[in-house]
Amino acid sequence: MKDLKTLYKYEKLLEDANNELVRQASSEGRKCVGNVCFQIPEPLLNLDGIFSVRLRAPRIGGMGMGTYYMTSFLCEYTRALLERAIEGGYEFLDCLIAPDGCTMINRCVENMELLKINSKEDFFYKYLEVPMKEDENGLNLYVSQCKEKILEPLHEKYGCDISDAALRKAVENFNKVCRIITELGEYRKAEFPKITGTEFHLITMATYVCPHDLILPLLEETLEEVKAREPDSPKDFAKKYRARVVLAGSEIDDVDCVALIEESGALVVADRFCYGSLPGRQQIILNDKEDALTQICRHYLYSCQCPRHFNIDAIKKRRAYIAKLATDYSADGVIVEQMKFCDPWAYERATNTYTLREEYKIPVLSVDRPYNVGKSGQLRTRVQAFVESLEIKKIQSKKGEEK
Amino acid sequence: MGAKLGSEQLGKLYTTGKTRRRREWRGFRDTFYDFSRWLSIMGMLTRFLAKPHNLKAFFRYRWMSNYVAVPSMIDRHTVGLRGKHLRIAHLEYDLVAKDVAGLLNNAFKSDRRCGNDKKLSQKCVILDENEMFAIMCGFPNLKAVSWETAAVYANVLLNGAGVTHYLDVIQEMGVPGDVCPMPAAEAGVVIDDDFPIYGCCAISCNTTCDGSLMGNTIMDKRYEGLGIPTFQIAAPLRHTEKGVQEYAAQENRNAIKFIEEKTGEKWDWDYYFACMKRFNEENRLRKEWMEISRTMYPQVIDANLTLYGETAYMAVAGRAQAFVDVDRKITKLARKAYENKELVCKEYRHRALIWGVQAQYYTDFLPWLQNCWGILPLVDMLSCVYLGQYSETDKEQAMYDLAKIYQEMIMRNRTHGGYEVLLDDMFKFVDYYNCDMVILWEHISCKALDGMHGMFEQRAREKGVKLVWVNHDLMDPRIVPRQNLRDDINRYMRSIMREEPVDPSLEVIDDTNAW
Repeated sequence: MKDLKTLYKYEKLLEDANNELVRQASSEGRKCVGNVCFQIPEPLLNLDGIFSVRLRAPRIGGMGMGTYYMTSFLCEYTRALLERAIEGGYEFLDCLIAPDGCTMINRCVENMELLKINSKEDFFYKYLEVPMKEDENGLNLYVSQCKEKILEPLHEKYGCDISDAALRKAVENFNKVCRIITELGEYRKAEFPKITGTEFHLITMATYVCPHDLILPLLEETLEEVKAREPDSPKDFAKKYRARVVLAGSEIDDVDCVALIEESGALVVADRFCYGSLPGRQQIILNDKEDALTQICRHYLYSCQCPRHFNIDAIKKRRAYIAKLATDYSADGVIVEQMKFCDPWAYERATNTYTLREEYKIPVLSVDRPYNVGKSGQLRTRVQAFVESLEIKKIQSKKGEEK
Repeated sequence: MGAKLGSEQLGKLYTTGKTRRRREWRGFRDTFYDFSRWLSIMGMLTRFLAKPHNLKAFFRYRWMSNYVAVPSMIDRHTVGLRGKHLRIAHLEYDLVAKDVAGLLNNAFKSDRRCGNDKKLSQKCVILDENEMFAIMCGFPNLKAVSWETAAVYANVLLNGAGVTHYLDVIQEMGVPGDVCPMPAAEAGVVIDDDFPIYGCCAISCNTTCDGSLMGNTIMDKRYEGLGIPTFQIAAPLRHTEKGVQEYAAQENRNAIKFIEEKTGEKWDWDYYFACMKRFNEENRLRKEWMEISRTMYPQVIDANLTLYGETAYMAVAGRAQAFVDVDRKITKLARKAYENKELVCKEYRHRALIWGVQAQYYTDFLPWLQNCWGILPLVDMLSCVYLGQYSETDKEQAMYDLAKIYQEMIMRNRTHGGYEVLLDDMFKFVDYYNCDMVILWEHISCKALDGMHGMFEQRAREKGVKLVWVNHDLMDPRIVPRQNLRDDINRYMRSIMREEPVDPSLEVIDDTNAW
């Protein structure tokens, strides 16, 4: 396959949290809303005059200060964010809205607040109580919290239009991004996909950290490029990839992670993790019968795949979702990953591994990983061994069929 | 050796084995009293084991063997005490032991593997160990039975290494070792299939942390497989905010409806308000004990405040008159001791606030602090709960009260709710109780506390508060042995405070193998 011409632009955008498009939007007088979790509905942060950036800490080095404030037992994502914040890397933000999702992200943002990491005078923090169960009571809470903690402050501080019509427009713009990402993602279902998991991850990730309207032309260009692209020949494909996998688990914003897995012979055909497209880049379909805010919240509540949703139905649904992705994308196995020291995913990884293997009969590789995998030999070896085991399974099942 | 406080070098009682060399000599009167309580506990254990279903359970469940250490556990927590303080401690621990025996008896009698009393089982509702039992205040005919309390929480109090096997089990399943060991051990018990099976339904709750929440998912899945339906109460995390109260109240209404549907019982308002009346009285009395601790003559302090409070406040929540009766007796004794200016230990050097999550395998660390270094553990974080009054008549308000109880349950009221309730409040309590020192438990797997580590230090430096970290791993003494906890204090007291211990024999003790 030819290289994607636009790919280097995404790589460039991902090198810095305050990237070129963020700077452009800020220079136009738009306010930048920082966000740290899927559970803060993105369309609400992308109204007229504002745009959202989901926080990352690209090219982070040591995490000494983050570790001092939060100890080495907290996940590296939160420590990296705090480190970057203390370094002054989030001065470009105008506010930060975080959910009390997991304890660690909550503490991370609280430390930022206490350490006054942003010197802007009208900078503000909001912490959302987001529901832990999928039911109508939870939906009511979600709606009221979004009003109280997101919409009203944005209206008061920045004069944002928070009418139903404005929310519908924001959803429409959000959907434009989602449609392109979904269309690109569909190509991964093909036997010889026109796009790799690494490329797709970079493109998807960029949509979380750039103003949607500004990245849209680039996405459209990429889509056209991919449409016209010739996939690898079966021979070339077989040289590079020996198995297809679903990558499922906790937050991945590391540009090297998917690349390392693919270099080890496993093509990542579906991305079920935070910063991935499933379910983060699925369109929100609105009707005219109900107000937009309730519908947006319902979409986020019921599509959320976070392990903190702890009712039995949600737990089962999450596992069934991964299994369905494996089927839909013709995956040979699933890699269940967990950011080291993440409590919710610590349990979810263990139980997912067991359930997918025992109940769904899907081969699983279960790994924990640091925030930046870099060129981790350990992870590479684990993936290579998994790929080999998948190949052996294929050979054995072929032999079985022949008999 | 004698009736006088500190008349004996307590470190000399330790052996390298499970038990101590001999009982402490506290003078004739106190030793006789203490021994009579020991005999009474032994009698209770014997009566407990005389029941066939309990005896069967004793051999069926691995963790049950630790219950032979009940008298030893009480001894550890009454060490060094004399007079009224010894009586206060015994009133507390003896009642707690009786309460746990009742819990175990119900669990095993209804257990499908032991007593298999189906009728009783249908009346049992399973609750989380870390969950307030207040929701059962409206169901006089049902029994709230938490096997987790017996198998994990109480078990580690009896034997510090009591749940290490279950931690290994859950880690073998793939859960990493850095999660909180309490829910991990509970999940390990389930994976090991080492818990009594009973109950008509279960109520779990997102109690203190992400680990606890996730541990529940394993249990709830298992209950489902056993045909025991579960309702999960999702109590809001930002519990100090008005905007979440309606949601919280509705969660409890839904939970009540669930219990009604599954058990066929109806919520009884009269019983609920009677319980709240008792609960309110207990809160008033406990508040009085804690107010006394602001003075120069504190009376109900250290683990005696914490452990008894955990049972009375959380697991009983006004459902038993016996706790009110004991509270009244304790208050009477505390008032008298205060009037007489009686001391809890030989020498008072420092007034300490104990903050963070205690080492469950070493709760008698607090008596050690006072006996070894003269550091008075006045009040601890787990005791700093809402001790106000709940409505005894208003049905509408009652649902909001219940919501508050659930949101602000022990530990949860500090680990959730923002830094204000954890960090800011700590320094408020330092001032309120006139403390000159903070002993800060660093439960290494507690992400909520770890996440504020740096800010605790920074704020303490700014305010000139002496802050001593004590590292532990909650339920796993293999990771941080008891002597390491003591060394954290010893180092600080010698290097920073330049002090000599009150009782040097306690500074280094070989209790690695002790219960």
